[in-house]
Amino acid sequence: MLIKEQALRSFFQQCTEKGVGAYSEIIVPVQQNENEGSLHLSPFSADKLCVLDRYRSIDPVKMLFYMPREKVLPPQKPGSKRIVAGIKACDIKGIQVLDAALSGGDFTDPVYQAWREETILIATDCTAAASTCHCTLLDGKPYSESGFDLNLSKLGDQYYIHVGSEKGEALLKLIRKHVSIEEATDADLKAIQSNRKKMVEKVTAQNKKLERSENFRKLRQDQDKEWPKVSETCVGCGACTNICPTCYCLILNDETKAQQFVKVRSYDSCQWNGYARVAGGDTPRPKMFQRFRNRYLCKFLFMKSNFDMLGCTGCGRCTEACAGNIDFRKVIKRINDHVEMSVIHE
Amino acid sequence: MHNPFEVIPAEIYDIKQESPLIRTLRLRPERPIEFKTGQFMELTIPGIGEGPFTPSTSHFVKDTMDITIMKTGFMTGYVHQANVGDRVGLRGPFGTHYPLDRFEGKDLLILGGGCGLAPLRSLFLTLLDEVDKYKSITFLAGAKSPKDCIYKSEITGWKKYPNVHFYRAVDVVPEGERWDEEVGVVTVLLKKCNIDPKKNPAVVCGPPVMMKFGTFDLLKMGYQEENIYLSMEKKMYCGHGQCRHCVMGEYYACKDGPVFTYAQIKDEEAIWE
Repeated sequence: MLIKEQALRSFFQQCTEKGVGAYSEIIVPVQQNENEGSLHLSPFSADKLCVLDRYRSIDPVKMLFYMPREKVLPPQKPGSKRIVAGIKACDIKGIQVLDAALSGGDFTDPVYQAWREETILIATDCTAAASTCHCTLLDGKPYSESGFDLNLSKLGDQYYIHVGSEKGEALLKLIRKHVSIEEATDADLKAIQSNRKKMVEKVTAQNKKLERSENFRKLRQDQDKEWPKVSETCVGCGACTNICPTCYCLILNDETKAQQFVKVRSYDSCQWNGYARVAGGDTPRPKMFQRFRNRYLCKFLFMKSNFDMLGCTGCGRCTEACAGNIDFRKVIKRINDHVEMSVIHE
Repeated sequence: MHNPFEVIPAEIYDIKQESPLIRTLRLRPERPIEFKTGQFMELTIPGIGEGPFTPSTSHFVKDTMDITIMKTGFMTGYVHQANVGDRVGLRGPFGTHYPLDRFEGKDLLILGGGCGLAPLRSLFLTLLDEVDKYKSITFLAGAKSPKDCIYKSEITGWKKYPNVHFYRAVDVVPEGERWDEEVGVVTVLLKKCNIDPKKNPAVVCGPPVMMKFGTFDLLKMGYQEENIYLSMEKKMYCGHGQCRHCVMGEYYACKDGPVFTYAQIKDEEAIWE
């Protein structure tokens, strides 16, 4: 099925103006001004420049479900149902990791779960790549195949719709009632496949020099030789963990004032010295390079073993946000090469 | 849906100052709390914060709970200012417990030091409640100096069981303090036990450096890696394996521990820090 971009905007407009079904809040990537190409997540409005395609926004989509600061006891409740549109594959994968961590096993974060239940995810294929994008290095693709309610693939001034869930099916019915949707042809589908292939080639090409072994166990084999060098300019600010679509380490603060206990969770960062410090002052990672290394081991080994998914989805935000100008991809490559070289020399 | 952050209010009905830096809060929760010895709780001081502590009472006691806490930092500073009648909060219990069934019929060795005696007192009191199930229990306890020894008033009672042996050592005896028992680090007491190390279990809890050398000494004696139980108390913040502060490699101390066998974690990095 195909929907005209104009028709989709009109549907979003109707939602924000009077609410359609239960949906009154639409969140989309928005370009701040004509000259600045980067995208931010923002409530939809007709006077903003909404960009559903292109590549991922600066802000990770995780912050719409797992906010920098939220009351978890008593749990904060979502105000209304919402639609988040324009989510790229790297963020969809991020949500899959968070689902496994926060609502998958024995533990369910009540606030995260409520936001997830009340939100429809509309994914879109990438039609461009930021210089830091590297999903293809991590077995990912610049389009989503699962994890969404609806997926949109751009085709001229239209979007091709894939339905990914019952929630998505229901939303599609609702959209149909308000704006027109057309049937797609085989030629449309072929065109999408060709676009997707081109995007995979583009992202692969720009990361060609950064390819390395898929055996991430190697990252652990170096303890303190190469890691201090690759992290030399790291100042431990924690921007990388805050902006990462899969980092979810939290601090639980007690803000009880009266009889009712109040707990507030906010983001923590394993890059900070006090992170794992115990009473008495001991910490397992007193040096910056050890904390730096921990983030990579967490993404590639610990999350993999905990959730059977890599903790890095290739969005490249940490590289973009780094105050020390550290390229995440280059770090993995350098450690990998260093370990391989050491083996040869032994 | 059950909120995992839910707090059970509790009243401090008594406070026992064990040593200059260690005190035991005696708590009466609003509803009984079932736990297994070795598991830990998150204790909230309202408006200040919460921290992980292990109950030091037998798990057969459900209406009240003792928690022994050393003053080391911000939150524990407030614990040491708390008064009888104050309201605190408890979340939990969390984590793994001591596998009592594997101790049955065995000569159990318990090695502990400093505030590490808190969870060991829970284990010990739980064992005493069914003392005939165990062939013998040897409890070796260390402290910095005589005035740092905790649970002083209870020791005479503990020694009266025929299959229980209790020995203490202090690192130093400052001038003017009296001490008739062993002097030295707690591992000097190991020479006192007459246990076949090959087949029997040992439990270790204490400051990191004591746990490290205690474990190494047990291995030297011939204890098996899978028979050495360690209480790896890290910064267990949420209790659910979510916040990742207590991660030791691929393990969470809060969920996969705090009770681990040495065999489980010996290859992880920085376990003793």
